[in-house]
Amino acid sequence: MASDPDTAPLVGRTGTLATLRSALLDDVAPGQTAAVFLTGESGVGKTRLLGEVGERLRQAGALVLTGTCLDIGDASPLHPVRQALRRLDADQAEARTTSAVRGLLQVFDEETPGPDGAGALLERVAQGLHLVAGGRPLVLVLDDLQWVDRSTRQLLLYLLAGLGDLQLSVLAAIRAESLRGAHPLRRVLTELRRLRSVRVVDLLPLDRAGTDELAAAIAGAPLPPEAADQMWQRSGGNPFVVEELARDRRDGRDGLSDTLREVFLDRVDALPQPAHAVVQAVAAGVEPVEHWLLAQVVRLPEDELLDAVREAVAHRLLVGADDGYRLRHRLVAEILAHELLPAERAALHRRYAEALTAAPAELHQARLAHHWRQAGEPARALPATMAAAREAERLHGYAEAHRHWSAALTLAATPTPVPPDGSRPPEPVEVDRVELLSHAAEAAHHSGEHARALTLLEELSADPAGPPACALHIRRARYLASAGRSAPAEEEYRRVLASADCTPHERCTAAARLAELLLHLGRYAEAGAQAREALDLAAEVPGSTSEVVLASAALGFSEAFLEDPTAGLAVMRRALETAERSGRPEDVACAYLHLAELLTGPLNILEEGVVVARRGAERVAELGLGRTWETRLLAVATNGLFRVGQWAEAEKVVAAALRHRPSGADAVELLLARCRLSVGYGDVEASDRDLEAVATVLAGGGARHVLPMLILRAGLFMWQGRHDLARQAVQRGLTESRSDDVIVLATLAWHGLRAEAEATASRTVEVDPTAVRRLREAVDRVTRKSGQAGAPVRYVADGFLALCDAELSRLDDGRGDPELWARSATEWDRRNHPYPAAYSRLRQAEALLARRSRVATAGKLLRQAHAMAQSLGAVPLSAEIRTLAGRARVTLDDAPSAGPVPRPRTAVPAAPAVDELAVLTAREREVLAAVAEGLTNKEIGQRLFISERTIGVHVSHIFDKLQVRTRVQASAIFLRNRPE
Amino acid sequence: MTEPVWGPVHQDIVGLLADHPADVPAVVDHLTKLQDLLVRLPPLEASCPLADFNKLYLVITSTVLDGLYEDRFVDPAFLARLDVDFAARYFEALRFWTDSSPSTPRAWSCLFKRMRGPDARPLPSAAAGVNAHINYDLPFALVTTLESLESEPVDGSDQHRDYLEINKIFAERIPELRRGYLDHWQLMIDMVNGDIDDWYQGELVEYTRNVAWRNAQKIWRCRHDPDARECERTRLDDNAALLGRLLLSPLGAFLQ
Repeated sequence: MASDPDTAPLVGRTGTLATLRSALLDDVAPGQTAAVFLTGESGVGKTRLLGEVGERLRQAGALVLTGTCLDIGDASPLHPVRQALRRLDADQAEARTTSAVRGLLQVFDEETPGPDGAGALLERVAQGLHLVAGGRPLVLVLDDLQWVDRSTRQLLLYLLAGLGDLQLSVLAAIRAESLRGAHPLRRVLTELRRLRSVRVVDLLPLDRAGTDELAAAIAGAPLPPEAADQMWQRSGGNPFVVEELARDRRDGRDGLSDTLREVFLDRVDALPQPAHAVVQAVAAGVEPVEHWLLAQVVRLPEDELLDAVREAVAHRLLVGADDGYRLRHRLVAEILAHELLPAERAALHRRYAEALTAAPAELHQARLAHHWRQAGEPARALPATMAAAREAERLHGYAEAHRHWSAALTLAATPTPVPPDGSRPPEPVEVDRVELLSHAAEAAHHSGEHARALTLLEELSADPAGPPACALHIRRARYLASAGRSAPAEEEYRRVLASADCTPHERCTAAARLAELLLHLGRYAEAGAQAREALDLAAEVPGSTSEVVLASAALGFSEAFLEDPTAGLAVMRRALETAERSGRPEDVACAYLHLAELLTGPLNILEEGVVVARRGAERVAELGLGRTWETRLLAVATNGLFRVGQWAEAEKVVAAALRHRPSGADAVELLLARCRLSVGYGDVEASDRDLEAVATVLAGGGARHVLPMLILRAGLFMWQGRHDLARQAVQRGLTESRSDDVIVLATLAWHGLRAEAEATASRTVEVDPTAVRRLREAVDRVTRKSGQAGAPVRYVADGFLALCDAELSRLDDGRGDPELWARSATEWDRRNHPYPAAYSRLRQAEALLARRSRVATAGKLLRQAHAMAQSLGAVPLSAEIRTLAGRARVTLDDAPSAGPVPRPRTAVPAAPAVDELAVLTAREREVLAAVAEGLTNKEIGQRLFISERTIGVHVSHIFDKLQVRTRVQASAIFLRNRPE
Repeated sequence: MTEPVWGPVHQDIVGLLADHPADVPAVVDHLTKLQDLLVRLPPLEASCPLADFNKLYLVITSTVLDGLYEDRFVDPAFLARLDVDFAARYFEALRFWTDSSPSTPRAWSCLFKRMRGPDARPLPSAAAGVNAHINYDLPFALVTTLESLESEPVDGSDQHRDYLEINKIFAERIPELRRGYLDHWQLMIDMVNGDIDDWYQGELVEYTRNVAWRNAQKIWRCRHDPDARECERTRLDDNAALLGRLLLSPLGAFLQ
């Protein structure tokens, strides 16, 4: 009767298996990523399905890594990934990957804490996985993802966004019950499920037929109707329950137990004493429980232990694998949890802890801490908990570290109970509470738990042995500022400045940081004054280069906003010199970045800004700060190059920056920059890919980049003629943007108005009057708010407002006001941004042609616009200019341009020779195309800039030549011969 | 086969729920379509109890959407996402109910059960829906929204102010929805919240919404602890279900 646990057939999942296989392997294009998240209630068969799919993918040639997340809440960062690698290492069949796997495992062991370490670790893991995969498709299978740690979650998003440059599929199972309420994965899944590369598959219980089939397969014959009814009632189609009930029935234990709980309790009761002990021990352990560990915990001689284990497996309570023992199912663990007396459970945990103390194993400190805590021995749990916290910090898992430090604080405050056996009371461990508080606060701050960090800091300041008041004020201000609570942060800095007890260096730090804070709050004059004060203080304090850089940047930006740009620029340049002379490498990097941002941002001195950014990038690479700082500087350079119209160069720079495989906000910044180029080039596929990657990273958190993403999406949809989708993206943007973010709002409004105007012109979708009204309101708000904003903001906003006004004129009369378009072209010429300038010329020409006035000017404008668009490589814009020129009979200078050749990304379909239409002139064909669209002669006239009467003449010629008598007949011939 | 959960409009509702609205305009669109389907649900049609709640919810959400366009909130990204996540929980409860899943929150199922029943009173039904949505769904929506924005539920923050702004929307909208049959709001408040001494119509909502903010702060503190989180979830579900059943019981009937 000791049947193999896996003999039950997989019922009712054929379709799901096929779906998963194709989603994870067959449909994944080379270099792409894919993910399937499998949700379902306990016992519905998620783990089983993971195993089956994993096996099939392995047979199909994929390298499959399998890991399980743990529910001990405070497991080590990236545990499931490391576990998966160890399993692969132990798998003999995978001998050829051994050195790569060990190399990657070593990466985890040798990681050291550092400022930009978290991102660098992601990069190293990605590279390691690349080697492990050895050219095969890589599949990461993760079970119990509801217990995933934050670092693993970030790694998954990083890899799925393609940032690791790795072809990877992820298959993960999540218990549906855990997703109710406030689970962090809920939001992540909501965002991810919208992506093309991600599927969320809800695994439902079996239907009645599936239930009958499974029960029959286990029982060996179909159940009698009454029993089958009862099975369906009791199991609700849950395969685990069906399987266990059917097995009991087959083995003649039917009817004794009505619920799953009773089924398992009966089985436990039926076990001989040693097997019973084994099951209870595994239930108290952290799965998988290794054989040697189990032996020490149950204290049975080897032979008896093996018998006991075999018995427990035969009763279907336990399963054994190479890496240890597990309970048959989580449901079993939950049932058994209430069966032990607290003292019994504590004793088991103590034995685990003692055994683990003697022999370090996987997840050593976290497990040790867990068991000592459960054993009710705070004094012994404390050192392990602290070690686990340090271990988590080493791997940049600040969220886990924070929880360990907090646990350590609780443990340190718990009195040590007298051990039950009355013997050896453990030595009280000497811990410095101040140190614990300090670590806990810093880890909380790093993991974004601002309120908690501040609470811990309060406790720290109440402790007489705590740090001096000044240091606490600065730290509190730092925490408050990163929590976005500017007013109290400002107060804290002011306290430092006012306090006589503070050192000059502390005052200097506070002044510089306060200047930065005031700048972010838009209080430019105060920021400038504060920055000057900081610079004065710094002059007296040796070793204050960081403060000089920070204060100079605040001063530089505030002057730029207060319309004295040259003074600000000079200060910032001096700061760079100071940093080069006496600062740390980070100070140099910071100074370059601020200077480049100042030039390309508020000062709009783009060429010089780009030069500074690129020179800075080289310099910081020499200084060994390539990963973070070079990436950021190159992002600034890319955006500057895009705006001045050097797109080919921008493309090279962004590619160089992405070679560092950045993560988080830096990565998003670069992907958006690259996507902006792709949208300009009209490369739909590349744009889509980058937008998906951005959305993947943003699913993990962060709202700042959502609006730029929506703007790009709208731009891309417009080139695709999907004005309805462009409208949706813009409307979403309008509901999510802050009214003080004038530039974003102005950009959104322009995109929205352009979409509506183009929808009208091309008749793709009906104009939505409500949307237009809201866009007009947005324009009004931008006009109002930019009046109060600083000069640089107003400068950029005015450019977009010019575009908005012109688009509105197009919406109002269907033709557009050439004067307004001319004004927009001038504005953008002045700003040295050729892309919107070329676009404005196109529209100006269109408006002139629609009025059939100044045709020569229109021709000139189109030629200018075309030359500009060609030199940018702006394919869709060039195409639109050519179409208009064709309709208006304007000859564009089509000699090969001197500038960079546009990349032929979107193939322009060449018109094939068409027999029936060969008799028509080019003009007549254009007219016929419009007739086939259902346009009236008047509308055709407007489109082709000729009079309605002339169209009538063309139409009658077409009828003659094609020998038809109606528009419908003519259209039919056109459609039949349409080049496709 | 038994009759599908949503009768003749079953396929339409399943199709609608398969879509997950991503922004507030899409949520309003979704609620509008749902309303059109619910009023076609026999035998009660226009007086379907769920339709009474859905209509109220649609009015409130449309007002929130107008507020977002009209610059009414300090942190629109927060409010927009909260609104989307909040609505997602209502749609999810409907989806669970459609699948006859045991995961349907009890807070909701007491109202869903009445959908086809003979007893349909707009006031208690709408109130029961508001109860489930605010007392059960809202605290969790707050926690997930703030977490994804890397923010926290802090009293007096911009987000808290925006959150409280919604109370004003309820206060503005409820009197006009009240028209006639909602005269008994006061009585109901008397019944379910004996300790409130201001019987203004908006008070129930404002009171429970503050409770929701406090509950969100409570969940926030234990959000990394799966057991504690589940414990809190069950507690909120049970409480909301209790109140919901009370509203829909014969006791609630005399409110009509």
